[in-house]
Amino acid sequence: MHRLSPWSVGLAALTLSLAVQGEGIRSPTMLAYTCAGCHGTNGASAGEYMPSIAGFDKGYLVTVLDDYRTGLRPSTIMGRIMRGYSDQEIAAIASFFAEQPWVSTDRTVDASQAHRGQEIHDTQCETCHGDGGREQEDESPRLAGQWSEYTRYALENCRAQGKRCDPRKMGERVMKLSDEDLAALAQYYESQK
Amino acid sequence: MSGTTRRSFLRRSAGAAAAASLLGLPSILAAAPPKARVVIVGGGYGGTIAAKYIRMMDPGIRVTLIEKNGAYVSCPLSNEVLSGERDLDSLTFDYRGLSRRGIAVVQDEVVEIDPAQSFVRGKSSGRYNYDKLVVAPGIAFRFDAIEGMSEALADETIPHAWKAGPQTLLLRRQLEAMPDGGVCAIVAPPNPFRCPPGPYERAAQIAHYFKQHKPRSKVLILDAKDAFSKQGLFQAGWKAHYGDMIEWVSGAAGGVIESIDPKGMTLSGPVEEFKADVINLIPHQKASVLAQEAGLTNETGWCPVNQQTFESSLHPNVHVIGDAAIAGAMPKSGYAANSQGKVCAAAVVAAVNGGEAPAPSYVNTCYSIIAPDHGISVAGVYQLQDGKIVEVAGAGGLSPADADARTRAIEVQFALGWFRNITSDMFT
Repeated sequence: MHRLSPWSVGLAALTLSLAVQGEGIRSPTMLAYTCAGCHGTNGASAGEYMPSIAGFDKGYLVTVLDDYRTGLRPSTIMGRIMRGYSDQEIAAIASFFAEQPWVSTDRTVDASQAHRGQEIHDTQCETCHGDGGREQEDESPRLAGQWSEYTRYALENCRAQGKRCDPRKMGERVMKLSDEDLAALAQYYESQK
Repeated sequence: MSGTTRRSFLRRSAGAAAAASLLGLPSILAAAPPKARVVIVGGGYGGTIAAKYIRMMDPGIRVTLIEKNGAYVSCPLSNEVLSGERDLDSLTFDYRGLSRRGIAVVQDEVVEIDPAQSFVRGKSSGRYNYDKLVVAPGIAFRFDAIEGMSEALADETIPHAWKAGPQTLLLRRQLEAMPDGGVCAIVAPPNPFRCPPGPYERAAQIAHYFKQHKPRSKVLILDAKDAFSKQGLFQAGWKAHYGDMIEWVSGAAGGVIESIDPKGMTLSGPVEEFKADVINLIPHQKASVLAQEAGLTNETGWCPVNQQTFESSLHPNVHVIGDAAIAGAMPKSGYAANSQGKVCAAAVVAAVNGGEAPAPSYVNTCYSIIAPDHGISVAGVYQLQDGKIVEVAGAGGLSPADADARTRAIEVQFALGWFRNITSDMFT
């Protein structure tokens, strides 16, 4: 896969913003309500493979949604959807979800898996995903209380990308982890409500 | 909850409303008069969403949802009942979650809409007055388009199973009783119809059952059309999992069916006759009978609306959403109904508060499950242009034709997650 140059990404974004010319400015609420069919009402997901996105950091959401749009972040369907929105609309969607309250899953997880996951977390992940994955910034999403099926899938995607995973330091660490490690990590994060 | 009586249903709804008022939540029993009365007819993929989102956007509006059944059975994923991968209970939902939100959920069948006097009439409880009406009535079948076909025949021997419920189970029983080496014919309708990829996913789910239990059997699709939704992806998926078990006959190749002989189990087209052991005839479609009788349909059989607000072009203050509505480029799908329910809710709330209808945003996402490890999808992002719902160029589209096995497998998981989330959006 070739890497897109900043110029071609900029050109793509310009083309997109020209293409997206509906009638009137669409509100954050109007735009974000369309996401609920897959991500749950107000972004609190009821499905194991769809992440909850309510209360995510706004900067993180803008980056990820834009990376889906340009293809920098691989996806099955998110890229197809995000290509329908302008920069301003992506910012509006991100603002909406950033303002919603986080809702952790209400499942208990496998204790021995979670324990193994915690050991990996403490040595490999804690510096960027502090407080058991509760802390978040524009490069690191909340992980605590997230569906473990989704977290494992996202970790596998990052590992498959290797050094191309964004951020690169994440890819470099995840590359060294086994399938069992990733599953254990995902269980640990789901246990941290 | 098929055993629920009307009385126990009402008692439970009333109990939920009383509990809500004790907690000091906004309630239909609150003393202050509502700023407007909105009545919603139909508690499916569109109606539930319009009801819930009107309440979310403006708790000062009194919302009454009238639904004829005490429980809802989802059409999406019901093809998996035919393969034996799931049962109908897993697709069945009740309305308690909406009652808890302060929506008055009433089990009644609306038999009349009077747009001039702004009321609807129910079979059991008389008149419901409204300031704004949202009709989400779904589809009706044009049984007369195929000679020899009738509603009674569909209920008894030739199920369409295009509304999930007893006919889904009847079709499943027929497939179970069919001898190995038999033929199941699916008669696919002309456009427009509910769930465009549905007949082709159904073919795959039936083949999935045959492959395990009746490997010499065939699925024969007799189509009124020459092309169909996700066609390339379906045909490649059929081949990969079921070899030559599924045969598709296009309209041009003689697939148009003009008559049925249910005794001889024979379907006739202009060119040839087809014999089958099980016939799943999915009839031609139009908007529900209620929409027709209320004068909400035009010569197409569907309901023309203002595509920004979903207000009927024929009757003011009556909105039509979901499969019954003519919604520009959007397909007749569950996700489209969900999206339209929200756009309509926002327009209704704006109108009640004296504002202008907001600029709308619409999305469709639709998954089909070809095999337990093979899912495909189509997505669409829409906007309003010159009064019409159009696709945003460059967005949406199909799963890639060359996706790897991991992608196909994860799309099945996303299909199941889609179902959990869209039904929780409707019923909680």
